[in-house]
Amino acid sequence: MKVTTLDALRSWLDTVVGEYDVVAPRDVDGHVLYRPVATSGEIVFSYERPELSVKDYLLPATEVLLRVEKRGGEVTVEENLADRGQVIFGVRPCDAHGPATIDALFLEQEPPDTYYSHHRARTVLIGMACPQLWEGCFCTSVGGAPDDATHLDVLLRRVDGGFAVDTVTEKGAKLIAGLCVEERDGAPDAPTTEGEAVPVMPPDAWRPLFGDNIWMRHGERCLSCRICTYVCPTCRCFDVADRVVEQGAGITRIERIRVWDACTSTNYRRAAGGHNSRPTKPVRLRNRSFCKFRYYPEDYGPLGCVGCGRCIVSCPVDIDITEVLQDVAERSGR
Amino acid sequence: MLVNEALAQQVRDQARELLEGGRVDCVIGYETGPRGGARPAFIYDAADVTRLIWNQACVHNLVTYLHDKKKPPRRGEQPPRVAVVAKPCDSRAVNVLLAEGQIERERVFVIGVTCEGLEDEEGAALPRCLRCADRVPVVYDVLLGEPPEVSPVEDGYGDLAGVEEMGASERLAFWLREFDRCIRCYACRQVCPGCYCTTCMFERDDGLWIDIGIEVSQKHLFHLGRALHLAGRCVECDECERVCPMDIPLSLLNRRLTREMEELYGHRAGREEVLTPLLFELGEEGSPI
Repeated sequence: MKVTTLDALRSWLDTVVGEYDVVAPRDVDGHVLYRPVATSGEIVFSYERPELSVKDYLLPATEVLLRVEKRGGEVTVEENLADRGQVIFGVRPCDAHGPATIDALFLEQEPPDTYYSHHRARTVLIGMACPQLWEGCFCTSVGGAPDDATHLDVLLRRVDGGFAVDTVTEKGAKLIAGLCVEERDGAPDAPTTEGEAVPVMPPDAWRPLFGDNIWMRHGERCLSCRICTYVCPTCRCFDVADRVVEQGAGITRIERIRVWDACTSTNYRRAAGGHNSRPTKPVRLRNRSFCKFRYYPEDYGPLGCVGCGRCIVSCPVDIDITEVLQDVAERSGR
Repeated sequence: MLVNEALAQQVRDQARELLEGGRVDCVIGYETGPRGGARPAFIYDAADVTRLIWNQACVHNLVTYLHDKKKPPRRGEQPPRVAVVAKPCDSRAVNVLLAEGQIERERVFVIGVTCEGLEDEEGAALPRCLRCADRVPVVYDVLLGEPPEVSPVEDGYGDLAGVEEMGASERLAFWLREFDRCIRCYACRQVCPGCYCTTCMFERDDGLWIDIGIEVSQKHLFHLGRALHLAGRCVECDECERVCPMDIPLSLLNRRLTREMEELYGHRAGREEVLTPLLFELGEEGSPI
């Protein structure tokens, strides 16, 4: 195996920040979050699961899509696309499955999403394997693993005295060409994957459960907040709005922004005239569950869940997707 | 963790009696969650009352769920009659909602429980419990449990000292740093019994002061605005702070206004069934403003 030391990794990262926008796990007032970093000194190398996924850097929570300027009779429209490459360092394997899931809709369906594909193309994902499953994690039940290299460009795994380096893609190889590594015998320890497997039923098993009382049982205590959808690596719903940023003598400047939206919120499905076709909490929880395990895989291929467990540990009223999955398995009697 | 099994049994017995007697359609209480803590439970069938628990992990303010029960499940039917388990802090929210005409007293059965203070997941007393001397709910239809002997605690607002010692610019920097972590998930608003507007003014399509962006300026306005809307209405259950995934110390904003209201009007929300004087007495003769 190829091994690099923490010092070598740090000095290499310090060269990368000059050339790329670098995002890495950082301790932000006690919360480990993927955040932009200016030096390797800001990066946390020992962490569990960052509290938010890397989604924000590929499908930003708020993104200016267009800048429109009206000066007199003259109107100019400018597309806002970042011109630097982006490196996301320390990506947990489940967080690489997130964008791969979103790709199935935003890249592989016509027409591809301009902004998302731009971020995807400019981004290199450097993974950091998990030594174990964390609280709430169930990646091994949905096609992942704590040391899964799929969908990453490079995977690092902790070994004595440093990190084993696995180059996964051409893009990754090019990026880490300057990283100092040495050849060593042996292999990294396999992660521990203790924990009960969660049963995930195929999409067609969900159909008969549309009218089941599962949704009332789990959904009634929902608060209709947006935590589960915002921490989710695969939830990708958005809203678009135009806002006036400057209005003065002879000049008007407008921004068109795209912002995360959440199917769990009360007004998500409100239509013109005020009708809301998903007016209750249980109905909205049903939709979120069906979206992940039936609609998305049926329509686009991948499951809409990577098993990161974030929605489980962050829900203030303990709505637990694995409990829902258990109930679905039980009800469908398979 | 102190487990008061006797009180838990009284809650179950009470719930069974209410459901079997047809007095209510639903009892809102607590059950054990999959990871060992407590979580809200909705019991419709007397056979399910065994799920109900009572212990020091029962932190949630269940009064917030009464808003979901204001409408009939189907058109033409009556709204459900509901019983709710309420601690002293939760019961203050009942008073606020009664005063504001949000719930009908005869449709809600309040199962008051005496409280010896709650604990967080690590077993530490909750900050709000350390400054609370209320052991008996302020409103209830039945009171379960023996009120424990406690000496009254003087609320000196010691929690506010840190931010109040800061100068204006330092304080602004402190809050902007806190709000920077906010993800605008609205959990603080959704869990609040006092936040029940059909369309929140911070979420209107035609919002004049705020757009949908998840950026510091919008988050700043949202949190300050929400705190102001709760002035004299916040019952200090601190649920907003508990549910915040980013640990923003929202109680500091609310408690700053609580103190202001107490000093100006001698008003503490929910102690009695009265409206906040801030919204309804502003400018009247005798108003301190």
